[in-house]
Amino acid sequence: MARDPSTGEGAAGTPGAVEVELYGLPRLLAGAERATVPAGTLAEVLRALADALPGLRGGALAGDRPSEHVRVAIDGRTIVDDPAAPIPPGSVLVMVSAQAGG
Amino acid sequence: MTASAGASTPPRATATGLFGRLLLVRLDGAGLECEHLEIPPAVAHAVIGGVGLGAALLWRFAPPGVPPLAAEAPLCVALSPLLGTPLTTTAKLAVICKSPLTDRVSDGLSSSRFALAARRLGVDAIVIVGACDRWSVLHLDESLARCRLAPAGPLLGRSPAEVGARLGAEGHPHVAAIGLAGERLCRYASLTNDGRHAGRGGAGAVLGSKRLKAITVRGDARPEVADPAAVRERARDLAARSQGMATDKYRRLGTAANLEAFDRLEILPTRNFQAASIGRARAKKIAPEGLGAALGHTRESCAGCTIGCDHRYGGTRLEYESQFALGPLCGVDDPARLIAAAAACDRLGLDTISTGGTIAFAMECAERGLAPWPLRFGDDLVPWIEAIAARDGPGDLLAEGARRLAAHVGQGSARFACQVKGLELPGYEPRTMQTNALGLAVAARGADHNRSGAYQADLQPGVDRFKADVLATPRRVIDTEDHAALLDSLILCKFLRGAIADPWAEGAELLRMTTGHDYDAEGLRAAAARIVGLRHLFNRREGWTIAEDALPERFYSEPIAGAVVDRDDLRSMVCGYYAARGYGPEGAMEDSVIDSLGLRAIVEWR
Repeated sequence: MARDPSTGEGAAGTPGAVEVELYGLPRLLAGAERATVPAGTLAEVLRALADALPGLRGGALAGDRPSEHVRVAIDGRTIVDDPAAPIPPGSVLVMVSAQAGG
Repeated sequence: MTASAGASTPPRATATGLFGRLLLVRLDGAGLECEHLEIPPAVAHAVIGGVGLGAALLWRFAPPGVPPLAAEAPLCVALSPLLGTPLTTTAKLAVICKSPLTDRVSDGLSSSRFALAARRLGVDAIVIVGACDRWSVLHLDESLARCRLAPAGPLLGRSPAEVGARLGAEGHPHVAAIGLAGERLCRYASLTNDGRHAGRGGAGAVLGSKRLKAITVRGDARPEVADPAAVRERARDLAARSQGMATDKYRRLGTAANLEAFDRLEILPTRNFQAASIGRARAKKIAPEGLGAALGHTRESCAGCTIGCDHRYGGTRLEYESQFALGPLCGVDDPARLIAAAAACDRLGLDTISTGGTIAFAMECAERGLAPWPLRFGDDLVPWIEAIAARDGPGDLLAEGARRLAAHVGQGSARFACQVKGLELPGYEPRTMQTNALGLAVAARGADHNRSGAYQADLQPGVDRFKADVLATPRRVIDTEDHAALLDSLILCKFLRGAIADPWAEGAELLRMTTGHDYDAEGLRAAAARIVGLRHLFNRREGWTIAEDALPERFYSEPIAGAVVDRDDLRSMVCGYYAARGYGPEGAMEDSVIDSLGLRAIVEWR
């Protein structure tokens, strides 16, 4: 998703923030389709997300990283699971179910 | 109709989980001959069951070069050692044939009470060769003397569900049947049992070529297992695991929930692979929430399954592959229109992926002015699906599949006929999933998401799905192929895979407790590689060359999300794949390869 690197303003329109989009199982567990949390490392973003959407704890999040049941992609492109990975302001973090098939 | 029974032996329900024999049915005009043939223990042990056993049967019973719809071409039903046990998701069978769509190996799995009943025939497989001189129903029985043919007259033109209901009312509750598409030899007709389909590759047409509308099974034989207490305990454990978070997505949402996520990730094939997203608002309309709100939602389970992934909308079962193929691929975003198309495929007995893939190709041809058909993206598919099944008008051309249709249309249309080896692509865009691109190219069955799960590798951390790693990708594809070969031969549902930490070790345990044979994890890894090798060997015998392991031109030259598949890279990876498999140059399989894979007993089975 396009973002302005000079302002770090993404789709949420909140400077310094990361927008998280949830699909599939994460959406079901969270009871929400999206959330806006402060930027930071992946661990920091996920901790803030869990505070905002506690239903994600356990099933979708394993501590400060994605659980084995979900995948997290920066701007829908790069799958990340390293808690230290930076999630820049204005990014969109896309959280989906891990298993495909059908 | 007359029937004669060949040599019959009592079921050998020893403590092996296997009967060690197959039922060979020879159709000959108005009559049939049935006999039991031994499956050599070395063969059975080498290929496990399911698609592995099926590949061995196809090698053994298909005359080299046989046309897929010729009477001599076999239709094989392969069972597995776990079938009939209380282990969850094991009520499955494999249907194997030479595909009329691809002229290569084809196999399909389906779960049903028919599979459980087939087990009670006291055999590990059924092989049907020959053809009837009039449309018939084949009634198979544990007693060869009671195997017979009956006229199918009143059943012709009926849906598989109607056939099942009618034969059920006559005392035959376990039925596999074809729809109109199979009768008319549509090259991607499915074989249906209990509402489940062995869909891909045209097994329904092969049954139709034998003028068999349906097969029923009846028997009481029950294989004993080596360690019943261990099997019962593991069944409880596996059932509990099947209720965990690893399967939650399938149970609570179904695979149709993929669509909205795939749209967001730009991996959702749209308008005949001209785009990889249908747009979020449109995706939402045909995602589970949208479908449920529009049409109502219920959930069912396959026979013997504790997961329950069978989600229905407006009463029709819908999985992701049907949803993508009859939805975005054809530009359809109306819930009612999508479900009506899926229901029509069920009713007429058609593979949904190939149906959608072929219609989408025809739509693009029509929109480009290359064909005169009144067909546009987003149109109601049902009249076209009905025309395909009946082979009416242009439906007769579409019933041949996208590759043959492209040959008819000409004018360069083959560049966007989205198929590999003649099989239409599943719902994972190869340009934005480039491990998947190699998986599709090398798969023995053609463009295949079931015998290769390469798309899964594309969604792993550290994998650049937009640009394949030429050195690492072949091994990733091999790993998913071997994993699939194991699960599809055991047979266990792939939706259970997240609940099994080490499939090789646990697969060996399951086989030890059912068969009593000394399987181990390394042995199963070798068996999986052997099964993949056997399928390749069959294809080579039937004329395969490495040139077939390629994608249509569209994927090399029309970017999606800024990515194309690099033709030279793909070619390098195809070669790397065969090298990593240990095969010879250009995928050759010399005697040394056959021996190293442990295929000797199979290729010499006579």
